[in-house]
Amino acid sequence: MNWTGFLFGASAALALVGALFAVGLKNIFHNILGFALSLVGVAGLFLTLGSDFLAIVLLLVYVGALGIAMVYAVMLSQPLDAPRAPRSLPKVAGAALLAAAVAMALWAVLHRAHFPPQAGALEVTPQFTGFRLLSDYVLAFELISVLLVVAMIGAVMVARKDRSAAARKAPPGSP
Amino acid sequence: MTAAALAAVLAQGVPLAVCAVVLVALRGRPRAAAALAIAGMAVSLAASAWLVATVAVPGRTLLAQTVFLPVDASRSLAFGVLLDPLSTTMALVVAAVTLAVMVYSTGYMAGDPGFGRYYGFLALFGWAMQGLVLSANLLQTLVFWELVGLASFLLIGFWFDRPAPAAAARKAFLMTRVGDVGFLLGVLLLIRALGLATIPDVIAAAAPGGALSPREVAVAAALLLMGVIGKSAQGPLFTWLPDAMEGPTPVSALLHSATMVAAGVYLVARLHPLFAAAPAVMHVLLWLALATALATATMAMVAVDIKRVLAYSTISQLAYMLMGLAAGSAAAGYFHLVTHAGFKALLFLTAGIFIHHAHSNDMREIAAREPRSQRAGVIGLVAGSAALAGVIPFAGYFSKEEILAAVGAGAPRAVLVLAYLGAGLTAYYAFRMVFLTLMPAGPGGGARTPGGAAAPHGGAAAPAQGRAPGELAMSVTVLVLAALTLVLGYLGPWLAARLGPGEAVRGPFVLGTGALVALALVAAGIGLAWLEFGRPGAPRIGFVERVPPLARFFGDNWYLDRLYRATVIRWATALSRAAHWNDRTLVDGATDGVANGTIGGGRLLALVQSGYVQVYLAVAVGLVAALAWALGAAGGGR
Amino acid sequence: MTWLHWYLLVALLLFCIGLYGLVQRRSLVAMLIALELMLAAVSLNVVAITSLSGRSSSVGQVVAIILIGVAAAEGAVALSLFVAIQREVQSINVENLSELKG
Repeated sequence: MNWTGFLFGASAALALVGALFAVGLKNIFHNILGFALSLVGVAGLFLTLGSDFLAIVLLLVYVGALGIAMVYAVMLSQPLDAPRAPRSLPKVAGAALLAAAVAMALWAVLHRAHFPPQAGALEVTPQFTGFRLLSDYVLAFELISVLLVVAMIGAVMVARKDRSAAARKAPPGSP
Repeated sequence: MTAAALAAVLAQGVPLAVCAVVLVALRGRPRAAAALAIAGMAVSLAASAWLVATVAVPGRTLLAQTVFLPVDASRSLAFGVLLDPLSTTMALVVAAVTLAVMVYSTGYMAGDPGFGRYYGFLALFGWAMQGLVLSANLLQTLVFWELVGLASFLLIGFWFDRPAPAAAARKAFLMTRVGDVGFLLGVLLLIRALGLATIPDVIAAAAPGGALSPREVAVAAALLLMGVIGKSAQGPLFTWLPDAMEGPTPVSALLHSATMVAAGVYLVARLHPLFAAAPAVMHVLLWLALATALATATMAMVAVDIKRVLAYSTISQLAYMLMGLAAGSAAAGYFHLVTHAGFKALLFLTAGIFIHHAHSNDMREIAAREPRSQRAGVIGLVAGSAALAGVIPFAGYFSKEEILAAVGAGAPRAVLVLAYLGAGLTAYYAFRMVFLTLMPAGPGGGARTPGGAAAPHGGAAAPAQGRAPGELAMSVTVLVLAALTLVLGYLGPWLAARLGPGEAVRGPFVLGTGALVALALVAAGIGLAWLEFGRPGAPRIGFVERVPPLARFFGDNWYLDRLYRATVIRWATALSRAAHWNDRTLVDGATDGVANGTIGGGRLLALVQSGYVQVYLAVAVGLVAALAWALGAAGGGR
Repeated sequence: MTWLHWYLLVALLLFCIGLYGLVQRRSLVAMLIALELMLAAVSLNVVAITSLSGRSSSVGQVVAIILIGVAAAEGAVALSLFVAIQREVQSINVENLSELKG
C-alpha cells in the first residue's frame, strides 16, 4: 500500500465515522465534535487530491468558524439539562430507509458511469486558483462576497433581541 | 455596454436598488419610501418605453449575455437580456401597471403601519417581473419566476398577523410550487440537451430538423406547461388565486390579474414555436384552458365578494389567452394579455375604491353604502366591465374577437362553440357585478344582510366621511386606466406587426358573422343580468342561485379544495401522522390518558392540514432519487 | 473501480449519512450539521471529479470555494434564526414548529 492509498483510507474512515457520530449520537455537543472530525477527514481527502489550499480553507471555515458558531448557538438556545424525548422508531426507520434508497439510486447511476481520464496537466496551485478567481470567475467571486456580507448583516438583524420584542408589543392590525 | 443594454439594466436594476434602499433604510418613513419607489418605477417605465420605441423594432432582436461561471466550453451559467418586440412590450406593460398601482396605493394604503415595507415589496416585485420578462435564458427565467413567486407570497401575506392572509400566502406559494417542479425539470432537460438554454437557441432547436428530437420537444413542452398551469392558475391548480385576494386590493390588481399570473401566458408566447412543435401538448392545453374558462365563469356567477368575482374572471380570461395561443396564434393571445392587463388592473383598482368606501368586499354591502357617490369608481367599473364583457368599442372586444377568430381557424368546432358560450357567460357575470354593486337593492328584493363573506377591509382604517387627499391619487389612476381601455383595443395590428410576419391580426372593425354572434351573446348576457339584477324591483337572485346544490357547487370551487384536502394532503401527511400517533399513544399515552388523548386528537386533526418540513423533504429527496434511478437506467453508460 | 469511483463512493456515503440526519433529527442545530455534511460531500464530489477526470481542475477549486462560502453564509443565517426561534417559542425541536408550515 502506498502513501496516498493509506492517507485516502484513513481520511475516508475518519470522514465517515465522524459523520456517523455527527448524526447518530444524542448529545448535541458530541454531534458537533463528530462533525468537526468528519470535516478533518474530508480535508484529508482534499490533500490526497492535491488541493492543499482547499483543505486548509475547509478546516478554517467549517471546523474553526462554523463549529464554534454552532457551539455558541447551542449554548444560547438549548437548556443543557433539558430532558430529551426518546427517538421514535418509525421515524428512524423511515429516515434510514430513505437514505438507503437514495444511496442505492445514486450508486446505480455511479457504478456504471465512465469518466474520461485526466486530460490536462494538474494546475492546482493556490496562485493559479487565485488568478482564475480574479479573472474568469470574478463575477462569481464578487457575488459570493456580497452574499457573505448580506448573510452577516441578516444574521445580526435576525438574532438581535429588541426587534422581536418590539414587534410582539405592537397590537396586531393597529394602524 | 451599449445604450440598449444600459436601458435594460436600468429597467431592472432601478427597482432592485429601490427595494434594497426602502427595505433597509426607509421602512419608518412612508412618504420617502413611496416617493422613491414611484420615481424608480418611472425610470424603469421610461427605459422600457425607450426600448420599445427604438431598440426592439420589428424583426430586430438583441441578445446580450454574460457568463458568470464558465464550467466547460459548452456548459456554463450565464445571465443577460433578450430584447425583442415581445419582451420589451411586456416590460412596458409591467412597468406601467406597477407604476399605476404604486400611485394608487399612496391613497389606498395610507396610514398602514407597514407602508414602507409595502413599497419595498412592490419594488421587489417590479424587479423580479422585469427580470423574468427580459431574461435571456430559461435558467434565468426560472430564477426570476421563483422570485416573482416570493414577492407574491410576501404581498398576499402582507397582513401576516391575520390568519386568513397568512394561510392564503402559504397556499399560493405551495400550489405554484407544484407546477414549478415541472418547470424546473423542463429547463433541466433543455439544458441537458442544449448546454445553455438561451431562448433563441431553444426556439431554433425546436424547429423541425433542429437539435431536439420531436419526443424531447414534447416532453419539454409538457413539463414547462406544468409551470405555466401553476403560475397562471389554470386547470386543477387554480384554487390558490381566489384565496390570494386576501392581500391588499392594489396587490390583487398588480400580481393576480395584470402581471404575475400573466407570466405563464407570457412564457407560452415567448416559447410559442417550441409549444407549436408539440401539437399533442397544445391540444391538451386547448381543452384544459377551455374547461378552466367555463368552470371559473360559473364560479364567478355566484360569488358575492367583488374581489372573488374578479379573481375568477381573471382565471377565465387567462384561459382565453392560452386558448388563443394553443390554437396557434401568438399574436391573439398576447394581444388579449395586453388589453386584459389594462382593464383588469382598472377593475381591481375600482373595486378598491368601493371597498375603501364601504369597508366591505361584499357587493350587496357596497350597494347599501351609496356606491354612486364614488364618481371615478362608477366610471371605472362600467368601463372595465364593458371591456371584460367584450362590448364593442372597449379593449376587451377586439382582443377577444382575435382569440375567437384564432380558435375558429385552428381548433375543433366544439371548442369554438363552447368558447362563444363562455363569452356570453362572461358578459353575464361582469354585468351581474355592475348591477349588484351599483343598483341599490329595491324594497323586498334580495338579501340586505350580508352573510359570512363580508370580510372586513383592513389596513387603511381611515374614517369614510370626508375626502382624504390620498383619494385623489386613486381616482386619477382609475380614470387614466379607464381612458386606456378605450385606446388599447386599437393596438392589435401594431402589436401583430411587431411580433413579426405571419401574425396577421385583422383590423379593429371587421364585422364578420363571428363578431355578430359574439356581440349577440354578449347582449344576451347583459340583458339577462339586467333582468335579474339591474331593473328596478329585480329579484337580485341569479338563475344559478335558484338551484341551491348547483350554487353551492359553483361557489365552493367545484369542491376541488375539498378533494385536495381529502386526498393529496391527507396522503402526504399520513407518514408523519403515523409517527406522531406512535409518540402520542405508545410513549406518552399510557401515562396520562384522557387529557393527552384530547390534545392528541386535536393535534391529529390539525396535522391533516399542516405537514412537517422533514416529511416534505423526504418526499422531495425520494422523488429526486427515483428520477436519478430512472435517468441512470435510461441513459446508462453516459 | 477507479480511484475516482472510490472518492465518489465516500462522498455518496457522506451525503446519505447527512440525509439520514436531516430527516431524522429533531434539533434544528443537528439538522444544520447534517446539511453541512451533505454540502461537504458535494464539494468533495466536485473536487474529485475535476482533479481526476477533467480538463481543468481549477474549476473544481473555484466551485468548492464558492460552496464553502455559501455554506458559511447559510450556517450564519441558520444559527441566528435558531436563536431567534428559540426566543419566540422556547424550543428548537422541528416537530414543535409544524404550525409554521403549510
